[in-house]
Amino acid sequence: MSELDMSQYLGIFLDEAGEQLQQLDEAIVKLEQTPDDLDLLNTIFRAAHTLKGSSASMGFNRLATLTHRMESVLDLLRQGKLAVSREIIDILLASLDKLRVLKDSIAAGNGDEGELGDIVARLEAVLAGEAGASPRDKVPGSETLTLDDIEQNVIRAAQVKGFQAYEIRVQLEEGCQMKAARAYLVFNNLKEAGEVIKSVPHTQDLEAEKFEDTFTLAFVSREDADTLANIVKSISEIKNVTVRPISLDEDRLVAAEVSALEQENGSLAARAKANSKASEQRITQTVRVDVQRLENLMNLVGELVIDRTRLAEVGNGLKARLGNEELLETLEEVSLHIGRITSDLQEEIMKARMFPIDQVFNRFPRMVRDLARKAGKEIDFIIEGRETELDRTVIEEIGDPLIHLLRNAIDHGIEAPEARLKAGKPRHGTVRLRAFHQENQIVITVEDDGAGMDPEKIKARAVAKGLISREAAARLGHREALDLIFLPGLSTSEKVTDVSGRGVGMDIVRNHIEKINGTIDIRTTPGKGTCFTIKLPLTLAINRSLLVQVGGRVYAFPLANVVEIIDITPADIQHVHRQQVVVVRGRVLPLIYLGQALGLARAMPAGENYAVVIVGLAEKQIGFIVDNLIGEQEIVIKSLGNFIGKIPGIAGATIMGDGSVALILDVRSLVDNLGVEASRELAS
Amino acid sequence: MATETAAEIQLVVFQLAGETYGVDINHVQEIIRMQSITQIPRTPVFIEGVINLRGRIIPVIDLHKRFNLPRAELTNNTRIMVVELGQVTVGMIVDSVSEVLRLPAASIEPPPPMISGIDVAYLKGVGKWNERLIILLDLDRVLRESEQRQLQQEIAAGVDLR
Repeated sequence: MSELDMSQYLGIFLDEAGEQLQQLDEAIVKLEQTPDDLDLLNTIFRAAHTLKGSSASMGFNRLATLTHRMESVLDLLRQGKLAVSREIIDILLASLDKLRVLKDSIAAGNGDEGELGDIVARLEAVLAGEAGASPRDKVPGSETLTLDDIEQNVIRAAQVKGFQAYEIRVQLEEGCQMKAARAYLVFNNLKEAGEVIKSVPHTQDLEAEKFEDTFTLAFVSREDADTLANIVKSISEIKNVTVRPISLDEDRLVAAEVSALEQENGSLAARAKANSKASEQRITQTVRVDVQRLENLMNLVGELVIDRTRLAEVGNGLKARLGNEELLETLEEVSLHIGRITSDLQEEIMKARMFPIDQVFNRFPRMVRDLARKAGKEIDFIIEGRETELDRTVIEEIGDPLIHLLRNAIDHGIEAPEARLKAGKPRHGTVRLRAFHQENQIVITVEDDGAGMDPEKIKARAVAKGLISREAAARLGHREALDLIFLPGLSTSEKVTDVSGRGVGMDIVRNHIEKINGTIDIRTTPGKGTCFTIKLPLTLAINRSLLVQVGGRVYAFPLANVVEIIDITPADIQHVHRQQVVVVRGRVLPLIYLGQALGLARAMPAGENYAVVIVGLAEKQIGFIVDNLIGEQEIVIKSLGNFIGKIPGIAGATIMGDGSVALILDVRSLVDNLGVEASRELAS
Repeated sequence: MATETAAEIQLVVFQLAGETYGVDINHVQEIIRMQSITQIPRTPVFIEGVINLRGRIIPVIDLHKRFNLPRAELTNNTRIMVVELGQVTVGMIVDSVSEVLRLPAASIEPPPPMISGIDVAYLKGVGKWNERLIILLDLDRVLRESEQRQLQQEIAAGVDLR
């Protein structure tokens, strides 16, 4: 195999291994909460098995060795020979971490080098200590039902016809005299309700009484589980019956087949089950596409959008000149149609760039679990809206801020169990992570029912750290005081832990979110809890902007940065330390002519009225005087390219409907560029 | 035959402050009429701004300013020559574009030490064609190194009129 081929496979292998590790991670954390979920265990087992196979075939022996041990432990769990315990979960998670290290090492080109350490020994200890571990409901003489391909196919065929497959485990009473006869009765009575696919032990052995007191059947039927259980229970000398639906290893039922099942199946419960199964297991067909290709498509569509506008403009121009001509009406029709199609195309491509936010959320359960254990807290972590979709670029940026917020919630928000009980709250704290769409935005909330924040304490802290003066603190309202936590260098936690509380964090969180044109808001009630609300644009490629004119040129302010627009007269402009300021509702805002801020003009042109765009960035608010306001518009952001590079104050360019180019302002760097005087003005 | 064509280079010939220049046709993407250019703040003076070239944002430089040549009036003949070099696409303002020429490679000589005010470092050589002197620009040097460096220096120095 040539080197190129190998590297191609390696990429796929690493991608898949990453997905499998993530899947394992999530599933194992879930397993801790629902240790009896056999489906889940099977999922975990399969993922580990697949990983083992692919590692071995790629020649990564350490990876294969470790997954093999994990698989053995998982197998014991699956067979019920080992019970799920916190220790075993810990060991499994630690194994995953080690696997990740190995995978990263492979990705870095170092092969799966590195010591496996004691993790293999720990897994082996679990395997060896199997006898000592408490087995899950192990029934002597019973065997787990495994189905071969033919039997699985029979079940699949039956499922299409509206049958459901069950595993029926029958336990006879101890000392039952005629075991073979009882087994025969079971078979006979069940025959009315469906068909036996398989029996363990085999029917011949049952007839020859070659079994302890338990046997297991694979059975297909249109009846529900309770009915089947009752049929068996009606026979005397039966001690126990369990009936469980069988889910095939790879449920390849397509939606159509499921709906066929629904139609034929009269039982409501079964229908509900089929529905939930379909939504869980429907495999969506996907294609991996180079991200760059999507970006290119997006750019091309951006151009189409512009041409669509131009086409409409040309049409209008012609109409004004030529009046109502038949040909013009056709042109108008075509132009409208192109417009609609372009909008649809744009939307579809936007969607193609969208990912469910679960891509970010899926690593959090593990993180929360680990942090909570480390901090000695008991936390129920609830995630809602995993399927909410947003742009790839936004997804990449949102992870870190959310980690910060979750850490804060666990470390500072949720109290220790004893403290919670004392405060009359349940032992378990709740951290809730939610994502949902609201108009053209994604809203993400991180909420805890912990101790909340006290604005007075925050103020005192900020004063003690010399971040604001005592007088300034006294003037701050409830909300403004809360905003202080976004100042660099402020930490409200009394003790510094290795999780959070070093006074870096909230300012970084805010920076990150603003970088992607988002906003963050806090609501908190002392003693009740805290809720952070993050609002993000759906995409970074298209931006709602406020267009303004300065020196005959058009500039675009990202709307996310615009707080409000006011009209002032020269009399409203005051001076503080040679800095122009304006007082807006008692707040003193620095004022600058946009032309000056951009370095394009030395002075502001004289006038009767000025339009002022007030922009907000973190704790700063600044007013920019502009010549004219044009209006709001959706614009496609384009880079200025490598040749020009990064220009302070300019985020990029966009093409307007008339084909001209307008520059998009980078409000953050524009404000930063104005120097300290602006921010000092506000802090004091 | 093959050797003959290999020994030839094809040039786009243009006028700049009274002199005749040429660049390799392989680097020239297209030639467009002068159009409205959007000025970009805080860039070196020779960067005129950006234009919309069928949906692409292309920077435009003024070669007069680039080489400190006397400023020319905009005329009906003024053109933007869009050149492409590696990853960079740039429009260059020239006084006029006259023709496309094939020049035998043998007729190209190294540039004389001083020529009409342009630093020799930016020249590939000088070609003679029908008694005319054609100055060959080294686009690589013009567009890449020096400009990048100058740009970075000027930005670092914080070009600021305030």
